[in-house]
Amino acid sequence: MRRDIVKAVLRRTPCGNLMANAVELRNITKYFPSSNVLANNDVTLSITEGEVHALVGENGAGKTTLMNIFYGLHRPDSGEILVNGQPVEIHHPDDAIKLGIGMVHQHFKLVPSFTIAENIMLGIEPNQYGMLKKKDEAEMVRQLANDFGLPVDPYARIRDLPVGMQQRVEILKALQREAKILILDEPTAVLTPQEVKELLAVVRNLAQRGRTIIFITHKLVEVKDVADRLSVMRDGKMIGTRTVAETSIPDMARMMVGRSVLLELDKKPATPGEVVFAADNITVTDASGLPAVRHISFSVREGEILGIAGVSGNGQTELVEAISGMRPVEGGTILFQGKDITRRTVGERRKQGMAHIPEDRIKIGLNLETNLDENLVVNRYKLPEFNRLGFMILSAMKRFAAFAVKQFSIAAAQPGEMIATLSGGNMQKVVLARELSGEPKFVIANQPTRGLDVGSIEFVHRSLVDVRDRQAAVLLISVELDEILSLSDRVLVMYRGTVAGEVDPTTVTKEEIGLLMGGSSLPGTATSAGSVQAVPKPQKEVVA
Amino acid sequence: MEGDLFTVALLSSGLRLATPIILAALGGAFCARAGVLNLALEGKMLLGAFVAIVATFYLGNTFAGIFVAMLLGGLLGYLFAFFYLRYQVNLIILALAINLLIGELTVYVMRVLFGNVGSWSDPSIQRLPDFEIPLLSSIPILGDILSGYNFIVYFSWVACIVGYIVLFHSKFGRHIRAVGENKQAAETLGINVRRVQVSAMVIAGMLCALGGAFLSVGHLSLFTRNMSNGLGWVAVTANIFGFQHPLGVLLTGYFFGLAEAFAVRIQNVTDLPPNLIQLLPQFATLAALILVALREKANLALIRRRFRRQLARGEMQSAAGD
Repeated sequence: MRRDIVKAVLRRTPCGNLMANAVELRNITKYFPSSNVLANNDVTLSITEGEVHALVGENGAGKTTLMNIFYGLHRPDSGEILVNGQPVEIHHPDDAIKLGIGMVHQHFKLVPSFTIAENIMLGIEPNQYGMLKKKDEAEMVRQLANDFGLPVDPYARIRDLPVGMQQRVEILKALQREAKILILDEPTAVLTPQEVKELLAVVRNLAQRGRTIIFITHKLVEVKDVADRLSVMRDGKMIGTRTVAETSIPDMARMMVGRSVLLELDKKPATPGEVVFAADNITVTDASGLPAVRHISFSVREGEILGIAGVSGNGQTELVEAISGMRPVEGGTILFQGKDITRRTVGERRKQGMAHIPEDRIKIGLNLETNLDENLVVNRYKLPEFNRLGFMILSAMKRFAAFAVKQFSIAAAQPGEMIATLSGGNMQKVVLARELSGEPKFVIANQPTRGLDVGSIEFVHRSLVDVRDRQAAVLLISVELDEILSLSDRVLVMYRGTVAGEVDPTTVTKEEIGLLMGGSSLPGTATSAGSVQAVPKPQKEVVA
Repeated sequence: MEGDLFTVALLSSGLRLATPIILAALGGAFCARAGVLNLALEGKMLLGAFVAIVATFYLGNTFAGIFVAMLLGGLLGYLFAFFYLRYQVNLIILALAINLLIGELTVYVMRVLFGNVGSWSDPSIQRLPDFEIPLLSSIPILGDILSGYNFIVYFSWVACIVGYIVLFHSKFGRHIRAVGENKQAAETLGINVRRVQVSAMVIAGMLCALGGAFLSVGHLSLFTRNMSNGLGWVAVTANIFGFQHPLGVLLTGYFFGLAEAFAVRIQNVTDLPPNLIQLLPQFATLAALILVALREKANLALIRRRFRRQLARGEMQSAAGD
């Protein structure tokens, strides 16, 4: 113990008061050989007991890796971890749990067919000779939920619960294991603004009860709302730790990105012309046959961006699949340039000038098994300039790739290069180059900036506005409210497969749009009622 | 003659023939619940059949022989787990390799030990004795159906019931199901995923071996080349058809056993070519698989039809607004 303190003093930890540090991570380095990424580069972080400490940084900055190391899911290549001043070895989540560390992962780690109680008590079931005591279990969960003011129904099954409730189960899971240090990994990414508000209140409440919270996020407003201090990571390095009260949001953004960020996108007013695309009363079912899109009608005019906002899983994916031709519609008609294309195939739609930037560039947007050239021509290889008698003209493909690399500044890419070696931002640029070159008349952009760094996001936004200014019609689907509001000329909000309302992005407030996203109607309804109701997927039908 | 077809004898021989299927399918169910596709049931069963008779010959005791077979079956299950978990060998390739390897290995060892290629037996080998269950056997028809088997048959029933209790009412079973459904969830809560999966595969290996032992020293008292003869694959089907549920497996296993028994019976009473009749259990298997697939489809169609009906009535808007 004494030696540790001496060592710590010699290291001169930034915080100074040693005993109050709940967590110290020292000189953590982690390298992933398979993807050749130095995820954590000599990272040092100390966290005081009882504080809410925000860990911010862009996607890929190394926040999650650092926390996974702390939680025992990864082993660091070098560095040491101290909990309450004691050096510890964390090889496995089990070790972390024993040390009082709990983690709520970005992707919930719940068993869908189990009940809330079964999930919370998994691994620590009350039992007699190995047989479960299910009544005791439910009672313990109810007790815990009441203690912390987070009511749940112990017998409800996870698969029937809205996302906000599932998150609550994750938090309770950690609390049941007597977590003193709680890591929340991007907890607000999947929530509506109202659910976010509720979560932040829960976080503050837990801190008041003496829990130490590490709050991972890249949304700076939330940092301002909830955290005492923040630490910023960029490119795997720790940039610094600040007190939130003394740091402004633009300062935080500068630390995060490494330069001043243009938070506002400047664009000319739209000059909408004729209707290019119209969906009339369309209805679509999801993979399991349940209705995902119900009676939606809207139209997109040339020279405008129509934004579709909403919490992920409210039918956006199915809507896009139906529009692009990947999923049949159950009812309604789709008109493109005045022609009925409801039953046309993807290829036929594309031929008429439809382009689609899919939400998942890894699985749908690109073929990672092949190179840049082939990925770029996959939507136009049938054109005469790219093939002769069914044989591809490699030189033409190469020329096109060189053109695209230059035009869309796909950094560090050569024609013929394997796609898998590119970064996320550059991959997305390849998709943009393929979809946006060749004068499309209608562009569907589904979550076009998901998982990208700020620089790439700016590029994608710029490209979409440019296409609009060339008088193409753009349909933008995104769960990022800021993105929708800054890019769109008109905004529709989707909730449970219907259009909950249309708003004007220049005048609407975030609260108003949040209400629509949560399923409430606009004129003055109470916020608390709608907040936990946002359902990830349309639930089973209530048969009248 | 016609009246003989659906007699008590048919039902009881169905139960007898179902035993190896039920045991192997139960093992498959444990693996499936733990998230491991186990297609090596056939090989493990064959190993059990061979080891049981050889060990019985050398040890002079049938029960000891069966015990050794189960031990080796468990070991093979562990080996399967080892290659899968340590070296991440593809499960299908691994299963095919084990099935082929055991198929050839048994023939090879049989030849080395006894100089035989086709089949082998020895007069010293005692078939596992049948016994009556005291009270049950005195009930008129039921007694004839449910009593008068050897201990492996009874064990297979008990194993299914115990399997059900373990899977759905014990801590260990809950961990198995959690691992199978969301491995990461289990892992982050400190459950040793490896240990759970290894246990499931060792259990499956032992159950399969017992099923195999039933063939060589329980039902008959000889070993023939490729004795399991596809029963392991039938067990794979029975497992799917039984929804990976121990009690479901008991029923579907019996269904397939009955189909086998029926095929044997019908050969005696009709002039149909015997080869065709021997295909009957295989047709039953195919029908079962189609049924499983149709059930899924029917479910979807039902939901969709209900949805369309609502659509027609224009109720969607109100339903959406709740």
